[in-house]
Amino acid sequence: MAADITLSRQATTTEPATPPGHGPLRRFLGTRHWTFAAGSVIFGTILAVLILGPAIWSLDPAKQDIIQRLKPPSGQYWLGTDNLGRDVFARLVEGGRFTVTIAALSVLISVVIGVSIGILAGRLGGWFEEISMRIVDLLIAIPDTVIAIFLVAIFGPGHVTLIVALTIVGWTPYARLSRGLALQVNAMDYIRAAEVLGMTRRFILIRHFLPNLIRPISAVTFLRFGHKLITVGGLSYLGLGVQPPAPDWGLMLAAAQPYLDRAPMLMIAPGLAIFITALSVTWIGHGLEIDRTKPKD
Amino acid sequence: MWKIALQRVAMLILMMLCVSLLAFLVPMASGSDPARTILLSHGSDLALDPAQVEALRRELGLDQPLPMQFLIWLGNAVQGDFGNSFASRQPVIHEIGSALIVSATLALSALAIAVAVALPMGTLAAMRPGGRVDGGVTLLVQTFVAIPEYWLAPILILIFALHLGALPSSGWFGPTSVILPALALSIRPMAYFTQVTRAAMIDVLNAPYITAARARGLSMPQTVLRHGLRNGSIPVVTFFSLWFASLLGGSVVIEVIFAIPGMGRLFYEAVINKDIPLLQGGFVAIVALAITINTLADILYVVINPSLRGANGR
Repeated sequence: MAADITLSRQATTTEPATPPGHGPLRRFLGTRHWTFAAGSVIFGTILAVLILGPAIWSLDPAKQDIIQRLKPPSGQYWLGTDNLGRDVFARLVEGGRFTVTIAALSVLISVVIGVSIGILAGRLGGWFEEISMRIVDLLIAIPDTVIAIFLVAIFGPGHVTLIVALTIVGWTPYARLSRGLALQVNAMDYIRAAEVLGMTRRFILIRHFLPNLIRPISAVTFLRFGHKLITVGGLSYLGLGVQPPAPDWGLMLAAAQPYLDRAPMLMIAPGLAIFITALSVTWIGHGLEIDRTKPKD
Repeated sequence: MWKIALQRVAMLILMMLCVSLLAFLVPMASGSDPARTILLSHGSDLALDPAQVEALRRELGLDQPLPMQFLIWLGNAVQGDFGNSFASRQPVIHEIGSALIVSATLALSALAIAVAVALPMGTLAAMRPGGRVDGGVTLLVQTFVAIPEYWLAPILILIFALHLGALPSSGWFGPTSVILPALALSIRPMAYFTQVTRAAMIDVLNAPYITAARARGLSMPQTVLRHGLRNGSIPVVTFFSLWFASLLGGSVVIEVIFAIPGMGRLFYEAVINKDIPLLQGGFVAIVALAITINTLADILYVVINPSLRGANGR
């Protein structure tokens, strides 16, 4: 309600609509659920630790200290040590770089492919729309783990196989969503108006079309990113992704399995890392999607 | 409506042809000679007799041109003959059959748990959208979506198997061994079912017939039970079939963790052992099941909803 009032005042008056300290960001956050801010802070912190961490702490994730193996968390080893006496925290930071990068890359490539196909389908229509949407229907049904394993069987395990596999099934939700949005926007009067005014197709696409897609697509991107993260972890868990001794959250989980009883921290830490990262991006995606001040649902 | 159904089935067949072609090309892509691999897997000495290899190649039809080979392979595959597994020497189709029963049991148990929790939770949230309960349920759903099932599984094992000793930590031998893997597997569908139920129930509870029922003097719980749930659970049914299809072959990690002889683990082991016939058969079977169930759900959805039967039925 309050946001609507400020908006309408902004539209009708010439005086500065935003008092000092109430910039666009503040106004945007005001319409979001608290989890959006929390998710952003958590995810930002995780990214900062993953990017800057190794430079700050200069911990060696590969250094073995067999006497110190399977130790509980302490001042020296924040999250304890693993079965070879390696620092779990250092491995967590190092491994997160792999897991998060692979998930992020596969999501970004999927977005580009999916949105392009979706917009083409929505604007061109005809046989292209029919065939691409049927393919989406069918691909969505196939579990992504199965496709990934199948590709690994052919090309062998590794980063590239993982990203390709995740992209093959990953682009479909974006295609479906952006086709729907394209159809919606296409029916808008301002698109008609732009066409009547003789604007070029490319101009309409960039100025009037894409801006409408940014918010919903980015919401779904964050929501899917959490899901991808879990899938990447699962595939590494099976030994199909990053190869040891390189650390990776899924791989660390798998390696912790035999020591479940003696050193539960070994299993809890990498899982918690995946969980918190996935939860934070889910909160961001959810926050982008839903305006708290407009309860419509 | 028939036109839509026909279209869907035609697309399904086309897709299956592509998938079969992919599966057929696996041994070529991985650069191994099936005849040699088979002979080696039979435990012959390392120096293979070239004549023997040649004979087997002819027997397998490998001397034929590639398109011809594909047709032969496809003809056998359609009749359920994918050859024998390298590892167990059993016909692939038998292995897949018994694994499917295991996976179906596991998937149904997991989905039953999911629905049992999701229906009441989603309904409660929908009673007062934006309220405190709704907020709590939303948070819970987001948490469930973010939990990796391969993390939940060891935690469950740690608590219920190692500390309490109440349930077996792995294996597949009767009802008690189903509980932990089903629980771990149920967490994500539970989250999605709750969301779907919530959205559907909000729609339903705003419908005029709910107001009418309330006006006739039915209490809110009575209204929800008699009129709301019946309509609100329709979308859940659709989702149920889709999740069932994806869990049939997609619960690889859980099946590996709990050592369950299901479809996912069978497929995974085929990859690890480079068991090509099993890999081909498994892939074709999982994909065929997934997209067939999906297509059936699509068609059923149109059958249930007469409003979708118009000319523009997409």
